[in-house]
Amino acid sequence: MHISDGILEPKWIFFWYAISILFIGLGLRIINKRIKEEPVYLPRLSLIGAVVFVISVWHIPVPITGSSSHPVGTPMSSIIIGPSATVVISAIALFFQAFVAHGGLTTIGANTFSMGIAGNFGGYFVYRLLRNVSPLWFSAGMAGLAGSIITYLTTAFQLALSLNPGNVPYYWKLYSLGFIPTQLPLAFAEFAFTAYVIKYISETRCMENISSGYPVDRFSRNVLLLMFSITAIIVIGAYIGYLGGANMAGIDSTIEAMAAPAVLPAGIGARLMSYSGEPMGFALVGIIGGLVTGYFWSELRRRS
Amino acid sequence: MLNWLTTDPLNGIIITITFFISIIIGRHLRMKRAENNGKLMDPRIKILLLFFLIISITLMEHWYIPMGILVLCILISLRLNIFRNFGRKLVFPVILAFFIIMIQSLTYGTNTINYGIISVSSKGFESGFLIFARVVAASSLTILLLSTASENEILETMRWYRVPVTMLDISSLMSRYIKAFSMEARKMKMAQISRCGLSGGSGYRKKMHDIASITGALITRALVRAELVYRAMVSRGWKHDRVSPGNRPLNMMDLLMGFVLSTGIIILIGIDRVI
Repeated sequence: MHISDGILEPKWIFFWYAISILFIGLGLRIINKRIKEEPVYLPRLSLIGAVVFVISVWHIPVPITGSSSHPVGTPMSSIIIGPSATVVISAIALFFQAFVAHGGLTTIGANTFSMGIAGNFGGYFVYRLLRNVSPLWFSAGMAGLAGSIITYLTTAFQLALSLNPGNVPYYWKLYSLGFIPTQLPLAFAEFAFTAYVIKYISETRCMENISSGYPVDRFSRNVLLLMFSITAIIVIGAYIGYLGGANMAGIDSTIEAMAAPAVLPAGIGARLMSYSGEPMGFALVGIIGGLVTGYFWSELRRRS
Repeated sequence: MLNWLTTDPLNGIIITITFFISIIIGRHLRMKRAENNGKLMDPRIKILLLFFLIISITLMEHWYIPMGILVLCILISLRLNIFRNFGRKLVFPVILAFFIIMIQSLTYGTNTINYGIISVSSKGFESGFLIFARVVAASSLTILLLSTASENEILETMRWYRVPVTMLDISSLMSRYIKAFSMEARKMKMAQISRCGLSGGSGYRKKMHDIASITGALITRALVRAELVYRAMVSRGWKHDRVSPGNRPLNMMDLLMGFVLSTGIIILIGIDRVI
């Protein structure tokens, strides 16, 4: 969902335009350099841009909601033609999308920032991070998932900054939660879509910059499936709780009451948690627990 | 009966002068439109004014003027016989604006009115409705402009505004390829449906696979065709860094009209602040 004309305050219109122009300038420099070396790059880039436009206005089925929505497309484009060129492509695609009333003319800067810069570079970063340690389809899919989520988190942030400048963190959370019913299924759809498309392209061997990646074993696939399922359940549950007016202060009170009723407030665990902060503490517990379980997994399976 | 003649003449003078001058301007506009094949204003001035008007709409503190602009746009679209297309395109911005009205009404402000299961904040509703009015007005203006100006005209206008040549080249190529690819994608989708692909009975994974395979095939075809397209363009004398022949300069009447309409926009902001 792009931001329409009339929503952003003028100062934010110019602010997002200024940032986006910097990135577009950088992208144009890279494109011009590449065109000098390889003139055919220009029509190729335009063709990819057209494909991305067609993809982003093309509806795909979304599970859970039963409705349809469209992918962001920029993470996929960044894998094919690079993130800097994708910034320029997405700005032009957004300009053309204004013709079909998706977004607007004054919000091209803001929409380019969310879709063409944050989502694109975020997705590409995830792709590069995972490319050498996971199969191609998975790293591409994760790029699509991350890019989609980052795009909408950025859009929510832009809306909160412009509409509710007095309480940005609260409204950022609120707008992000508002996007969840359509965006979460869409992000998973984008995962599958990007993964399939990049896999298809790599199989036709027409992209020299897309490596085939590493194969994934059955154990890792099942673990990843479980991770996605549990994350989806937690997020959907939290959203239902939010709609029902539940206390959204975190899950520490539940854990204290149910999982560790005998924990001492002055104990080392509680002190460590308060020292590192809740997210860091839970991440540490997750890492240690996962490493130990993974390390002894074969041993546990054999004994059982 | 004629005692209005003997009282303060100011109002009478004002209405007479404005009425007759408006008749002259109206006739001139009609003639100018006829001269320019139905186009009233140069697209360069039109885009600049649109940008200016949308920014001024976001500065407005009351919903009356944005709503007035919306009504005016609806009337113009009816007059131009593009209302159906206009209405269809306006659906997305309206949905987004409703989403904002809802969030603002339910969360913004402390003075709430209880309607059974939901509590609505009056301040939030006012703020939400103002944003709603701004969004629909701004979107309707954009839709109207883009429905009455061709893509080529707008791209040429961008050239006049010194947008980098590379960006314009990509845009002009993209605008051609988008149509070709939309048709190609539709054909491929139809072909897949005819081979039992994308059927209602197939699972989500199968549907995603079908859609992604069409997209993948489109991309691979695009990569192959790129070189052929480029060769064809070069053979017809196309050059990437060619010098533009230059746009027709703006004439005095266009500049004058731009100035008059800009003044009108400033007056609208003034009226909004005074209300």
